[in-house]
Formats: sequence, C-alpha cells, structure tokens
Amino acid sequence: MPIIANRRQLLMGSAMLLASTALPNIARAQEPTKGGRLVVAADSEPRNLNPAIVASNGVFFISSKVIEPLAESSYEGKDGLEPRLATSWEGSEDGKTVSFKLREGVTWHDGKPFTAKDVAFSALQVWKPLQNLGRVVFKDLEAVDTPDEHTAIFRFAKPTPFQLIRNALPALTSVVPAHLYEGTDIEANPANNKPVGTGPFTFAEHKPGEFYRLARNENYWDKSKPLLDEIIYRVLPDRAAAAGALEAEEIQLAAFSAVPLADLTRIGKEDGITVITKGYEALTYQLVVEINHRRKELADLKVRQAIAHAIDKKFVVDTIFLGYAAPATGPVPANDKQFYTTDVPAYAFDTAKANALLDEAGYPKGANGTRFALKLLPAPYFNETKQFGDYLRQALAKIGIDAQIVNNDAAAHQKAVYTDHDFDLAVAPPVFRGDPAISTTILVQSGLPDGVPFSNQGGYKNERLDALIAEAAGTLDEAKRVALYHDFQKQVVEDLPLINVADWGFTSVARTSVKNLANNPRWAVSGWADTWLEQ
Amino acid sequence: MKRPVRSLSGMVGIAILAALVLVAVFAPLISPGDPLAITARPLLPPLADWAHPLGTDRLGRDLVAGLVHGARTSLAVGLAAAVASLMIGSIIGTLAGFLGGWTDEALMRVTDAFQTVPGFLLALAFVSVAGPSLPVIVLAIALSAWTGPARVARAEVLSLRERDFVASARVIGMHPLEIAFREILPNALPPVLALSSVIVAAAILTEAALSFLGLGDPNRVTWGGMIAEGRAVLRSAPYLSIIPGIALVLAVLGVYLAGEATVERAARRVGHA
Repeated sequence: MPIIANRRQLLMGSAMLLASTALPNIARAQEPTKGGRLVVAADSEPRNLNPAIVASNGVFFISSKVIEPLAESSYEGKDGLEPRLATSWEGSEDGKTVSFKLREGVTWHDGKPFTAKDVAFSALQVWKPLQNLGRVVFKDLEAVDTPDEHTAIFRFAKPTPFQLIRNALPALTSVVPAHLYEGTDIEANPANNKPVGTGPFTFAEHKPGEFYRLARNENYWDKSKPLLDEIIYRVLPDRAAAAGALEAEEIQLAAFSAVPLADLTRIGKEDGITVITKGYEALTYQLVVEINHRRKELADLKVRQAIAHAIDKKFVVDTIFLGYAAPATGPVPANDKQFYTTDVPAYAFDTAKANALLDEAGYPKGANGTRFALKLLPAPYFNETKQFGDYLRQALAKIGIDAQIVNNDAAAHQKAVYTDHDFDLAVAPPVFRGDPAISTTILVQSGLPDGVPFSNQGGYKNERLDALIAEAAGTLDEAKRVALYHDFQKQVVEDLPLINVADWGFTSVARTSVKNLANNPRWAVSGWADTWLEQ
Repeated sequence: MKRPVRSLSGMVGIAILAALVLVAVFAPLISPGDPLAITARPLLPPLADWAHPLGTDRLGRDLVAGLVHGARTSLAVGLAAAVASLMIGSIIGTLAGFLGGWTDEALMRVTDAFQTVPGFLLALAFVSVAGPSLPVIVLAIALSAWTGPARVARAEVLSLRERDFVASARVIGMHPLEIAFREILPNALPPVLALSSVIVAAAILTEAALSFLGLGDPNRVTWGGMIAEGRAVLRSAPYLSIIPGIALVLAVLGVYLAGEATVERAARRVGHA
C-alpha cells in the first residue's frame, strides 16, 4: 500500500485497516491479554537517551516508553492530540500565556510524585536552552508559573501562536524529573543514559551492542496498563538481519523501515508477518534538493526551474521508494491536515522545457554536451537519499549539467553542507513535524549562523519570504496563520530556494501476534502502553 | 613432466586476462555512453531482454555496461597501484640495501611500521580522510603494498652489491647513486617484478572492498560498488551481486594464474641457462 497521500485516502486506509483487524475479532472475540515480552529491532544506540534534550526519532523510539510528553498525537482527538501528562491545555487571547492542567496521581519511576515543578523545570532549563527543536519554539518563553501542584502556566515575552505550541506538544515536551536534574550539569547527568520518567515502562538495562530492556511500570497512572511485561530492543544494525530475525521469530517487530523496501513484497507474503505503513503520519520525511545559491548559475531562478523540470518525481516514487512515498508539491507534505495547500505552481517532468530554460538563462551546451559542472552531495543517512543522488546525476546529465557526486560519512556530510558550504547541490531528508514553524521555515529563512544542521545554509536570502515567516510566527489567529503558510508554500515553490521531490513515511513489519499497532500518527515513537501480544 | 599441466593453468590465466584487457580497452565500443545511465525498466532479470542480456539494477542501469566499464576501473586501479608500489618499494629497498648502515636501519624500521598495520585498514583510513577519488584510492593501495617489493629488493641488492661488476663500477668512479640505480637495480628487478601479479590481484580486491564499503569513486562504475548495491535486494534479485562477484573472481584468478605462469617460465629460462 502506498503512503497515504490525502485525507480521503487516509480515511479509506483506516477503514481498510479497521476492516482487516475487525474480521478476526468477529470470528473470535479477542480480549487484550496481559503479559509477554515484545522483542523489537533497534538499528542504533543513541549516545544520549534524554528526549527532552535530543528530540529525534532515534531517541524517542526507545525513551518515549519511559519518558512521557504533555500530550500525544492522535487520529481522533481534538486538534489531533490526546492527553498524557497534561489533561487539558488552553491558550490566552493575547497569545502570551498557555495554561496546562496536569494529571494527578502520577509518580516518577523512583517513587517521587510528579508535580508542576517538574514541568516548569523541564521547560525553562531543558526544552528552551538545550533542546534541538525547543530552542526555536520556546525561544520567547519567559517563565512558568505553578500556582498549585497540578497547574503550569507558560508565560511568553512575545505573542506565540497557541496552534504552534499545541502542534509541538507530542515531540517537544518530554518531561524529565526536576529532583534528579536540578543543580547538576544537565547535559552530563547520568539519567540521560538511564532515563527515569513517568511512562508505562521503566528503563531496566542496556548491554551495549546487544540490547535494551524496558520493564513494566507497576505504578503507571493508567491502572489497566501497560499490557506488556517487558520490551527488548535487540541491536541489529544490519538491515538485512532484521528481515531474517523476523522470519525466524527472533524479533516480533521491525519499525522505521528496518526491513529494506525491496524486501517488503516478499516478506509481506510470509505467514504470520504483516507490513504496516500506518503510524508514521506525524513523522513525514521530505526528500529535498538543497541548493547553494552562492553558485552564480544556481542563483538564477531559470536554472533552478530547469532542475525542477528535469526531475521525474513519479520515477523517484515508483523506483526508489517502490511506491512507499508520495510526490511532493512543496515544503508541506500532503498528509498534513492543517497547513497543506495544492495552490502552488507545478513543475512537470519536461526535459525539453528544462533544456530551453537553461538556453534562455545563457548557459548553452558546450562541445561535449555539457553546460556546466556541479558538485552533488547526497546525504548518507538513508539508502533512498543515496539512490536519489545517483538518479539526480543522470537526470541532470540529460539537461547538460555534469553533476559530480561526492560521498561522505554522516559527520563529514554535515560539516561540508551546513558548516563549510562546500556543495552546489545536496540531497537532504528533513522532517515535517506537524507545524511549519518547528523545522520547516528554517530551511529557507536567512540570517542563520553557520553550522546549524537542516537549515538554510545555501546562502538563500529573500526578504519577502523572511518577512512572511516572521509574520506567521507571531500571528495568533489560526485561520490567518494557516493562510500565511499557504502563501509561504506558494512563494517557496515559485522561487525554489530548495526543491521538494517526495514525501515518505516509514514502514513497520511485525508478526501478526503483535496487537494495537500503529494506532496513532507517531506510533513508533509513542508509549506503547496499550500494545499487547497474542499468546 | 609437470609442464603441460602448468602451462594449461597459465594458458587459462592468460586467456582470462587477455579477454579482460580487451573488454576494458574496448568498453566504449561494447557499451557506448555513460554506464551509469538509466536505460531500462528497473530490476529486469537476466536473459529477459536481449538489449540488456544480464538485466538491470534497482535504478534501471544496464548490468553489462556496468561490468564492462567496471573492468576498466578494476584493471586501471590494479595496474596503477602495482606500478606505484613496485616503484616505491624498489627505490626504498635499493637505497636501504646499497647504502646500508643507518639509512638501512631507518628505512627498514619504516617498512616494519607499515607492515605491522593491516594493509586494508591503512587504505580504509587513508581514503576516508582524503576523500574517495581514483588517484587517492590508487595511492592508498600502493601505500599498503610497497613493503613487500621493498624487502625483496633490499635482499637482492645486498647480494648484488658485493659482486665484481659493482666493484668495477666503483673503481671507474661512478657516483654511488648511479651505481645503485643504473647497475644494481636493473639486476635486482626480476624477483621484485615476480611480485607484481600478486600485487595487482590484491589491489583489485582491495579496490572492490573499498567500493563495497562506499569508499569508491561514486562517479565511476566499480564491481565492488555493484555488489554493495545489489546487497539490498539480495533475496529478490541475487544476480545483481552474483554477476559482478563472478567477474571479480575471474579477474583476480586470471591475473594470478597469468603472473604465476610468466614467473615460472622466467625461472625455467634461468635454470636452463
């Protein structure tokens, strides 16, 4: 099944999923059973497991079961949210305060009670100064008032859209215990590697290179949960190994596309194994061509348009992503329900037009058929980004641009692109996180310091776009804010500071005995309190 | 008595090597254009379409084009690395053997240092620091392969430098370096050259391993790179890894057998003389 591309398909997709899980239910009414051990493939061992500092999927995958956010993403909930540590949230008219009612009767894994003090500490001492994403969203957070133990009132120096704060709740608001972090060097605190939280599972042990073990939290605030006794993350860095381990029933779940796309059709036919594309809607990755506008050829809009016309998005989706992706129209993916607009210019795949644009721009083909040469740096993080690099080189050759690929490891790639700006074109996989202000506008905004990863380091400067981004960041009215972001998408696609090629989610492959899979849009990085195993 | 058998394996080696060289030299004629160009439906199996007899890879690139142009890369790297390491090795070995004393000590300790580091690790480290491009890869392989020729050259020079023709060269007042490189080195070369087939074969394998790990030149087709790309679809399209793998085995075997045969022939000639 291809990734869900629009709302109707989403509904159809969920209806189909409902139907497929409902059938066995009718045949044999299945009550969730308690107990059992879920074994999951993990492809990396993050150095820091504190999601309040490192809000990234690799960290969340393990620590979201231990440390909870104020609210989690939801398919049905109001504004796409459902309560976790906060039970309700409300923004003021002037956009300067947001009040949270916190859950009562919650205790940390070490037995201490959870109070508003923990939220205030996490917000002011961790999210705002230390967190990769919180630095942007909470930059104007001044104070957090705690009138009683279960109320936290966030005060902002400047009006901050409530919509943005809401959209940031699932990924940016992991609450850590103040009593363990207060007065210590937060970034070097031992609890970063042995997290203590309020979540459904406690962190039991980590054997480097082998496994992580999370154990059932007997005192979880939702008394009927969690259903599993323990979760084991087996470290399997080799992607081919995950598929084999699933077939041998050594593991029951491989998330985040741990099984290579090319293997999905084959493994999906095996008995007792299902392939699931749901549960990643709030973690959409975007395949983007980053452009260095310092290169005189690339500073010319016609050249950028020509490159956009030279890319066959259908080929990319069908061949590189084997259908598990959707062609992108602009900087917001189509599966976002709040901000997406189709009202943007389209660049159809048209090599003749691309060649004509380059002729017009004053770059005729030389004797050897090339107009100019470029340095192309594909990001090494995914197989797909590397393959797209190979494809882009061929697509550019057809319009007379000789792209020379430079391969680097992850660290060298980040340095070359984001610090040294030693690239002409780069292939990047930024993530859309539910609101353009979280990690999307930064891709085109000017005036950022060198070295900020996944940001505009291509030297692009467009005052009109900068003004629009600033205006949207301070606009409180939600309809107006959405309209501004529609305009943002249109302007980005018109001026092409970067080229969005495709949007993709991940796939999970699981044994059919694992139940309650993929029941929220960030499922792989949520708490798994209601996940259970058929015995 | 053993001669026919030996020459048979030699013949096979030479035949493989000749075929390989022909393919590499005429690659642009056999499959014109950029071998990395996307020319057909992706994952076309072998023998399904005569325009692409060995099929296509995940992006629709022709496997024959990849093999043919990959032969060029493999041979070029193998030969260049062998030439470079033989040159470095014989110069250092000759100097060490001829000059003796402290120079010998110093040069041989440096050789020891290079020999103690596993050759592949050294190449890996060098390429990942300097960035993958063909000259860097050649240099990286040469860096780990020059020690063998250096030791052999030194041993030869040690036995040659006491001979009469060296003494007479000294008597007529030749410069010591001239004696070393014009009188001794040419006589010390044959046993050093005998190492070349081993070095070429090892260099082809090292290049393939580097490309397999993603440290090859990404703008060229390499067999190692083809095997690595095929790995992701090993279960559904194993031919993508197996075919370049066979090519690699044949190339290494061919070079080795041909080298062995020439060395034996040379040895026999010396023996008869």
